[in-house]
Amino acid sequence: MNVGSLFQPASIAVVGASRAPEKIGHQVLVNLRPFDGTIHPVNPSAEGEIFGREFVASVTEIDDDVDLALVAVPAPVVPDVIEECAAAGVDAAVIYAGGFAEAGPEGEDRQDRVVETATDHGMAVLGPNTSGFVIPGDGLCGSFASGVEEVPAGGTCVIAQSGGVAHSLAFQTLREGRGLSAMVGLGNRATVGFPEAIGHFDDHAATDAIVLHVEGTDRGRELLEASRAADTPVIAYKVGESDVGAFAESHTGALTGDHELYLAGFEQYGIPTVESTRELLDGAAVLGDGPLPAGPNVGVITAQAGPGIIIADRIQRSGGRLPELADATSEEIAGILPGITYAENPIDTGRPMPEFGDVVAAVAADDAVDVVLVNELYEDALGLPVDRMRSLVETVEKPIVFATDGPPADFEDDVAALEEMGIPVFHSPERAADVVSLLARYGALADGGRQEPNDERQEPSDDGTADSTGVNADV
Amino acid sequence: MSDRGAADGTTASDAATPLDTVTRIDEDAVESIIERARAAGRTTLTEAESKSLLDAAGIETPDRAVVADAEEAITAAEAIGYPVVAKVSSPAVTHKTEWADGAGVALDLADADAVADATDAIREAAAAEGIEAEVLIEDAAALDAGTELIVGGMNTPSFGPVALVGLGGVFTEVYEDVAHRIAPVTAAEARAAVESLTAAPLLSGYRGRPPGDVDALVETVQAVGDLLVEAPAIDEIDVNPVLVSPDGAVALDALVVLAE
Repeated sequence: MNVGSLFQPASIAVVGASRAPEKIGHQVLVNLRPFDGTIHPVNPSAEGEIFGREFVASVTEIDDDVDLALVAVPAPVVPDVIEECAAAGVDAAVIYAGGFAEAGPEGEDRQDRVVETATDHGMAVLGPNTSGFVIPGDGLCGSFASGVEEVPAGGTCVIAQSGGVAHSLAFQTLREGRGLSAMVGLGNRATVGFPEAIGHFDDHAATDAIVLHVEGTDRGRELLEASRAADTPVIAYKVGESDVGAFAESHTGALTGDHELYLAGFEQYGIPTVESTRELLDGAAVLGDGPLPAGPNVGVITAQAGPGIIIADRIQRSGGRLPELADATSEEIAGILPGITYAENPIDTGRPMPEFGDVVAAVAADDAVDVVLVNELYEDALGLPVDRMRSLVETVEKPIVFATDGPPADFEDDVAALEEMGIPVFHSPERAADVVSLLARYGALADGGRQEPNDERQEPSDDGTADSTGVNADV
Repeated sequence: MSDRGAADGTTASDAATPLDTVTRIDEDAVESIIERARAAGRTTLTEAESKSLLDAAGIETPDRAVVADAEEAITAAEAIGYPVVAKVSSPAVTHKTEWADGAGVALDLADADAVADATDAIREAAAAEGIEAEVLIEDAAALDAGTELIVGGMNTPSFGPVALVGLGGVFTEVYEDVAHRIAPVTAAEARAAVESLTAAPLLSGYRGRPPGDVDALVETVQAVGDLLVEAPAIDEIDVNPVLVSPDGAVALDALVVLAE
């Protein structure tokens, strides 16, 4: 199966292409306008041209090699269209329509037909029941939703089970100006599921972090193995807590719910989990941009006590640690700021001051610290310690996160300068603390499971694919 | 377990690679126990069969014998050494403690008379219910010598074999203090699961309690996971309680359910 034809096509057929603006087959064509490959509108009952391209009646009548078919036709005709695509040698397809495995026995039969054709011909089929995918950096919008083509290119790859969640994440990054390397809604996962998507985007040059939205899949073990095998940082958001175990003969059965297994499995396989779409994107931005944390120990420096307490509470509650600093570090800080409010971690300088950046640097250099969180409200007379941070990031390979706030117009240059040097800035103590907690969990897992996934067993294979187990995966 | 949304179209079954296991399992013994139950048309093993299966996976179980009557029971008890327990052993009885107004389990039998009485009571109750039943005579464990844990495992649709460890005994489902791991489980993973339990301090000698042999518990978790990996015919394994004492981890009760 060639997932590359799905996500990097040179030639696309839009099956169900339409002149009617309210049709999915129209919006798909509109969204494809920035695409610089070949586009073939397919519709047996249309003639002439649309957007300067000639309608054809069937994919089998296209002379060109078609890599990808975007199938914008109703569910009942989809199995036949997929067979035509297979006959025409199309490598990949996206099926937007619902009415398949999620919709009762008739839908299941339809999906079975699609899967059988796709499997026989090695077709990579995304969907059914999805809004599709978008790769902003390639101008490739394989989605029927309007507006997603505006999402800028970034480093985060979203792989969501739900197309709706994928789009929600995409619009969040649009609003924050961060952007995405790719956005994929998996839908019913005919032949392209989490393992295939993770494997592809792990090798995608523009992707520096992968975030997963998971509701549930028959291929849980493969999902875990693909996540662990990825060189790119992976974060997961598992939803659907109310799923309970269907087994009740034993205590074990009664105590084993699907949701618990996902959370335990992600932890076992070294993948940190979060509990909101915001944490998913914040985490990806931080893991993708900066150095990766080597452990769970957080050094906190705050210029105001109150937000510092919020931050310390939140980090400790969610798995991060606030280690004691080395004596030398405390002495150095006491030397910088004689009579300092509190020279233990979290360090409280009491107020912003010209030496604040030196205090941050002293904590960052301490070997006990894996992640640095700085909280400093903006003061016009001082600004943020941009110059000191620039020299710091050149000497210390640790993630540094800033929490700050102030009148946006006054401090946006300083914020931009920090982000430019790989120091992400958040505008509330909670948001900064949550992302630092995620870094701490990532660091703890890196310390434990991630680097040595199998202390006495075989490693995942070197080509980036996990060893498949096949254990009961087809139940 | 339900798959929200819909089932995946493809599976990994075409590319099956064996999972590595670490504990040593007597595969012939496992197979013959499973075959015997299958031949009798059963998917639920008796406690004695379940414990033999655990033996085959290297999990420690109490000395025991399955007997037909009081005379055999006394002979077995004397060979094992007093005190012993007597339990109903029948495919027809899965909830032994609730069976026949409590006749199904007799604890702390200190002499031959007590063993004979308990055995007769089980046989009479079985006769009254019209079921075939034998009697399991087993070395009595001193529960206050250790901490009761649950170790379990099951074959799941999404993840295949998984193992579980948690606070065991009668309050297992009240506190739901459990941790799961995907099997096979490494020693480090099993240890992390044990350490993640709220009840973990009980194993390190909390307020004068006997500390537990955590290494033995870790091996038990691994062995249960490995059993599921090696024998796909097994659907569920429930070992509750596992008594974890300074001397090791012993499976005091066990329930194994085979796939339909």
